[in-house]
Amino acid sequence: MAATSGGAAPSSDRSAALIAAALALPGILPAAALAQSAPDEGVIALRYYDYRDWQPGVDRMSVRSPSLYAFVPLSDSLTVEGSLVYDSVSGASPLYHDAVSGASGRGIGDYRSAADAKVTKYFGDSSLAVGAAYSHEQDYISRAASVEWRTWSDDRNRTYAIGFGAAKDRINALEGVNAPVLDRPRETYDYLLGITQVLDARSVVESSITWSDGRGYFSDPYKLHDARPDHRRILAWLTHYNRYFAAPDATLQLGYRYLDDSFGDRSHMLEASWVQTLTYGLTLTPTIRYLTQSAAYFYRDPPFPQGFVPGQLYTADERLSAFGAITLGVRLAKELPHRLTIDVAFNAYRQRGDWRLGGHGSPSLAEFSARWIEFGLAKRF
Amino acid sequence: MDRVRTREALLTERDPDAAPFRFRFSAMASVHEIHLWGTDRAHAERAARAAIADVKRIETKYSRYRDDSVTSAINRAAGREAVAIDAETASLLRYADRCHALSNGRFDITSGVLRRIWDFRRRPPRIPTQDEIDALRPLVDWARVEWSAVGVRLPDAGMELDFGGLGKEYAADRAATICREHGIAHALVNLGGDVRAIGSRADGSPWRIGIRHPRNADATIATMTLDDEAVATSGDYERYFELHGKRYCHLLDPGTGMPVDRWQSASVVAPLAILAGSYATIAMLERERAPAFLRAQNVRFLLVDKGGALVASH
Repeated sequence: MAATSGGAAPSSDRSAALIAAALALPGILPAAALAQSAPDEGVIALRYYDYRDWQPGVDRMSVRSPSLYAFVPLSDSLTVEGSLVYDSVSGASPLYHDAVSGASGRGIGDYRSAADAKVTKYFGDSSLAVGAAYSHEQDYISRAASVEWRTWSDDRNRTYAIGFGAAKDRINALEGVNAPVLDRPRETYDYLLGITQVLDARSVVESSITWSDGRGYFSDPYKLHDARPDHRRILAWLTHYNRYFAAPDATLQLGYRYLDDSFGDRSHMLEASWVQTLTYGLTLTPTIRYLTQSAAYFYRDPPFPQGFVPGQLYTADERLSAFGAITLGVRLAKELPHRLTIDVAFNAYRQRGDWRLGGHGSPSLAEFSARWIEFGLAKRF
Repeated sequence: MDRVRTREALLTERDPDAAPFRFRFSAMASVHEIHLWGTDRAHAERAARAAIADVKRIETKYSRYRDDSVTSAINRAAGREAVAIDAETASLLRYADRCHALSNGRFDITSGVLRRIWDFRRRPPRIPTQDEIDALRPLVDWARVEWSAVGVRLPDAGMELDFGGLGKEYAADRAATICREHGIAHALVNLGGDVRAIGSRADGSPWRIGIRHPRNADATIATMTLDDEAVATSGDYERYFELHGKRYCHLLDPGTGMPVDRWQSASVVAPLAILAGSYATIAMLERERAPAFLRAQNVRFLLVDKGGALVASH
């Protein structure tokens, strides 16, 4: 042992304190390396989400959703995380076309409860995560499992990810215009390939491709005549670029998503956020997002049920129409003492046929709007 | 013991197959080198430029020889008001405080004031009188420095802070991080003999770092291996004078105000250069307790005692 005169703390505590102080020096640990070794900080977070959408003259649906999330490092190399969500849904399900086009869907007074958990084991230069999720609604049960393997280069500047997920869903709609839909299954398999590259000390780019292959019941039991293919494949390509600017002490986040759906709709989504650090522990994040998409090949324009032929594929769901949509959002977060963070976010969404780029939007659809508000409280430990 | 090499080769035994990019520069009154492997010239230059700029930034910020440095501002206000400090300075003070605690007060960043009476360049050399030492000793007392995350105040006029015992190693660790963030996987950052390695050599084997012979600047006395670690050496040969056959070196015990003389040098391998440097300095100051102290820190070390005999960690 070291000399023992003076000092209240045992020598081993003082040794540990010195190492901790060294690691706390700025710039001693690479940011990228920090992110990829097992995180040693736990977090517990409560969120409340309030969503509402409407079309001119008609309020559609509102969702209120409290959730709880926890992330707990169990050891240097093992972490576990999980979340619980409870949604209560009220109001009409989104209609086909718009509110005045005719036959109504059912009114929804529903709830959804969902839980998921994930365990991640970190090895020297890789990690393996195994997850499970369960979601339950009155008419719908979903069970999913996933596994993801990540590995990184010696310098930890590049990370590769390979993932696989499987979901088994069961639809049991006793009500609704197409009811009864009894015990109809759906199975979806997702395959993911991803790469993250640290470009320099201030920027990082992340890109992933997901291939999703689903078979089973995809129609909407609450929409009259709705009949969709029973095989759906979706290719999604996501890229994110983050860059930190020292002078304003802010981070620019850019995102792009391309989606190719075997239903025929294709979409491009562009997103930009500016995470600005302010004084008093405040962070302000404005976000703008633009989405443009083409229609599914079995989507038919209003008036309903124009183009419907019994026995053939058909939908009038405006989510499968051709449109452009803009989301504007702003988030304000504040760091409080005792490692608490609170944040509040407001997002406004508007979707219109004539906002589509690179082609015509679906005509005659009423504009669709939504807004959502989030409150969050997180405690790190 | 390795055979004699030129000074140039002391830094590392180079892998003849790899052609590293070498960058040499001066700062903090010594010559430094950054060697980068396994990258192209453009990347190497970008990484080295950023790393060198940061080393010079730290020198400018903390040099006690510059009037505009943080150190000078703190020292000028000694005995008067507190000086506001930024987060980086606060974390260095916290680190220095932990060194002080771990060394039972022997590692003290206020001890630089003793240089006023210990002039190692003076010819002929002179040993200060006990009265001179006693007059200065009250000014060496980190425990009385008032500091927090936002400010620091030296309570007495004449007190001084000196980051010289930390700054170089801190700069080496930061330079290594900067290189790594530029995608460099294999590198050596050598700041005046304190070497921080990034990763292993390109072929996966550990770096081999020659340890300077304390009495022969052109010879190595041993080799220590590094794998993503750092080695730092504290020696009685950096600044010293000899009088009546006895060596007086710049490492002063704040308790006595006198140089320590148990070891010629202490070399320590630790995960970070700043830790290696502090352990090596504390080992010199701990005198005969040095081996026990270093074993308690779980680090590899090599001590050369005053007779030239080696004491190693294994």
